[in-house]
Amino acid sequence: MTPNNLFPNKQRDIGFSALGALGLFALLVGGGLAYQAIVGTGSAERLITTMLIDAIIVVGIQIYVGNTGVLSFGHVGFGAIAGYAFALFAITPEEKLKRIPDAPWGLVDVSLNPWLALLLATVICLVVAVIVGVGLARSGAESGAVAATVITLALLFVTHEVARNWPDVTGGDRAGLSFAIGGSLDGRIAIYIALLAALLVARWYAQSRSGRLAVAAREDNLAARAMGVNPLVQQMAALLISVAVVSVGAGLKVYEEGSILPDNFFFNYTLLTLVMLIVGGRNGVTGAVVGVIVMTAGRELTRRLGQDGYELFGIGLDDAPLDWIFRENLQTVFLGLSMLGFMIWRPSGLLDDWELDEWLHRRLNLPKTADEQPDSLTELEDVPQANLRVSDVDVRFGGFQALSGAGLEANSGEIVGLIGPNGAGKTTLVNVITGLVEPSAGSFEVNGHDATALAPFELARGGLVRTFQNLRLFGALTVRENVEVAAMIAQQHRTDRVLRDTDALIAEAGLWPLRDRRARELDYGNSRRLELARAAALSPAFLLLDEPTSGMSDEESLAMVEQVRHMAATVGAGVLVIDHDLAFITGISDRIYVLDQGRIIADGSPTDVQANPAVQAAYLGSTADA
Amino acid sequence: MIELAQNLIDGLGRGSIYALLALGVAVIFGVMHLLNFAHGEMITVSGYAAFWALNAGWSWTLIVPLILVVSVVTSLLIERLAFSRVRGASDFTLLLTSFGVHFLVSAVLLLYVSASVKNYPRPGWVADTWAVGSLRVEVFDTVVIVVTIITLLATTALLQRTMFGLALRAAAADFDTARLMGVRSNSVIRGAFALSGLLAGIAGVFWLMRAGSTNPTAGIDPMLKGVLAALIGGLGSLRGAVLGGFALGLAEVLLRSWLPNGLASLTEGVVFALIALLFIFRPGGLISVGHAERV
Repeated sequence: MTPNNLFPNKQRDIGFSALGALGLFALLVGGGLAYQAIVGTGSAERLITTMLIDAIIVVGIQIYVGNTGVLSFGHVGFGAIAGYAFALFAITPEEKLKRIPDAPWGLVDVSLNPWLALLLATVICLVVAVIVGVGLARSGAESGAVAATVITLALLFVTHEVARNWPDVTGGDRAGLSFAIGGSLDGRIAIYIALLAALLVARWYAQSRSGRLAVAAREDNLAARAMGVNPLVQQMAALLISVAVVSVGAGLKVYEEGSILPDNFFFNYTLLTLVMLIVGGRNGVTGAVVGVIVMTAGRELTRRLGQDGYELFGIGLDDAPLDWIFRENLQTVFLGLSMLGFMIWRPSGLLDDWELDEWLHRRLNLPKTADEQPDSLTELEDVPQANLRVSDVDVRFGGFQALSGAGLEANSGEIVGLIGPNGAGKTTLVNVITGLVEPSAGSFEVNGHDATALAPFELARGGLVRTFQNLRLFGALTVRENVEVAAMIAQQHRTDRVLRDTDALIAEAGLWPLRDRRARELDYGNSRRLELARAAALSPAFLLLDEPTSGMSDEESLAMVEQVRHMAATVGAGVLVIDHDLAFITGISDRIYVLDQGRIIADGSPTDVQANPAVQAAYLGSTADA
Repeated sequence: MIELAQNLIDGLGRGSIYALLALGVAVIFGVMHLLNFAHGEMITVSGYAAFWALNAGWSWTLIVPLILVVSVVTSLLIERLAFSRVRGASDFTLLLTSFGVHFLVSAVLLLYVSASVKNYPRPGWVADTWAVGSLRVEVFDTVVIVVTIITLLATTALLQRTMFGLALRAAAADFDTARLMGVRSNSVIRGAFALSGLLAGIAGVFWLMRAGSTNPTAGIDPMLKGVLAALIGGLGSLRGAVLGGFALGLAEVLLRSWLPNGLASLTEGVVFALIALLFIFRPGGLISVGHAERV
């Protein structure tokens, strides 16, 4: 990976997101200091300190949960590991002799300065994260995000159980570990530094190559893989960065509180941090920060409401008539209600993925250059030779033989059609070619290399790119970002090809005026065109189009034919197009294969195929009646 | 040898309760794709009902049906108030909704019912044992195993022989198609929650009898066992859930007797770690339900 590949757009991605992080930092710290100044009590100071530390941890969780879309209960478990490790390394030997004299491995004698202890705790946590990450990846790939979430829950429980039942090291359930008096943080400088770093890391990760690919996979895992993204790698990257931030936050939390008990990092703290994350909006760093502020305020308010004889901003309130409902611990009810309420009525939170710096960027940079419609692209003249050959493929689903001995061949520069009635096995054949279905017999080759056992993302990187019968776009991303994801993969894996400018491809697809719209806002025809442009941005050797005109009017279909032909020629791709519409296929193809009941029953030029009696019997007969 | 047999019976007794819990979790997962982190709340709430009834002088003979009724009603209420509003939402939303329900129920109990642990007398026979040769078998374990077998047979009959069972299985296989075929989504989902509540109630009777106490967060433990067992068995598979329950129970008991003395208290932690390992090597659980990707 070359450095300029790390961030697709340097000025916006590094500069503006740093500005955004600074803005959020100013919001948290400035707001906190202002509140302290107005209220002026020691408890206000503690409240703000707690809020800042919570912000570090919540922003850390956001890096994983927001970008990958996988819900994690385990981050607080990682926090527990980091917190205990930090305490064990940093507490003075005298104190440890009193609390945990029987600790193994000479831990009692260890005495590190807090910064070194924090660093070491983070490293230990990262090692655990790698192991957990492998489990998450494997089960997540097989059984979906739910299984991954339960593994994170198991992690939370393992750490809690170990912390409770290993008193030699952790001080157990009651006593815990605590620092000598005076051991807590002097001032907030350490917290400020860590908070600013957390915000910067979170914003930079989201804008980085890895972050964008992770978000693409969050939006549509299968489509991302079909574009050459390996979501597992990006999820692991997000997990490690996220765990590092959470570890630092957890270490500071322990340092500040001066002690650690198993329940400090368990269900209640998990609930608190997750509510903070979702109330503001988990998909953005700004959302996470706003959630922390809103929930800190709400919790403080409900805590006071629950107390007897409280006052609010200097005004004494008589709550005797409501005493039956405003009780101590009211804030836990508030947290539970907030979580339920937001999940039911506003699951994407107050701000969804709105980011301060993106808004600034739009505001400040809008009328500037580089936003004129690019010139149209010329078709490539020197097309690299490529060949796709499928031979004797069998696929069985239980007792049903979907394909038997099917085969076809396609070369660069030509458009090959595959046609057959519904249920003939067309989509199954595409799925074999794109790595979603493994054939029980037979093989397929790309440029003479066997590609039968390759995963979808490997095939896409190798130049076989597909579109889907039912649209699969990255809905929350803009038109531009959808195409940029593909271009990022192409820059890394398709270096031997001519790579087209993404903006030019968008213009070519007729989507220029819509370039900053989110993909989920597009109508059907534009969505289809975007899918085509996104596939073309990968500079594929072959484009596989699965029913590209399904659901389109005749007029739109004709325009689509032209577009497919032109796009393919622009990037020099051969085309394999699958459809059941005979007029469309004969209109577009140089050669046609006819599939019926899992077998290729005819192939040749459109006129040959139309004249073939077997084809007429199997296919045309039925459509001619209709 | 004797010890092993003893452990096996013990593990089966424990596993029976887990199997009932896991089956309830799997039934809900089947119709709603919801992993219910609030599955333990049925037991928490029935625990308070049992405590109240015992104080009011009820005998266990009356309390058993009370627990079952309270459990089913709680399950249906939770569905009505929370889950019915997020049907068809993303996994993320569903998971956090159930997590939120769990917290809200325990917070409300904590604030408005009681913050302390409530103890109540257990039925006398819970501690009794009978001797079979040199083997000492707990009466309790025997009852649990027998009742569980009967419950599982009855549930199987319900699922295989009745229209409701057919609708439920169809919905679990493909909810949208089942609806198109005329399965009424409201009634099948409510039925699933009632069934899940009943299974949790039966497990809850045993759980509460053995515990002899309840508190606002008492639901976490049974919920976790049920969810983990369903996951071990393979999410979405009803048979897998039952198998997972027995596997989890046996694993706990055997590990506790095999682990060296100093580590015995870490049994639960070791079990969790083993489950994580299982998922690295067998990501789909014991009975993997292939989730074919649709394109």
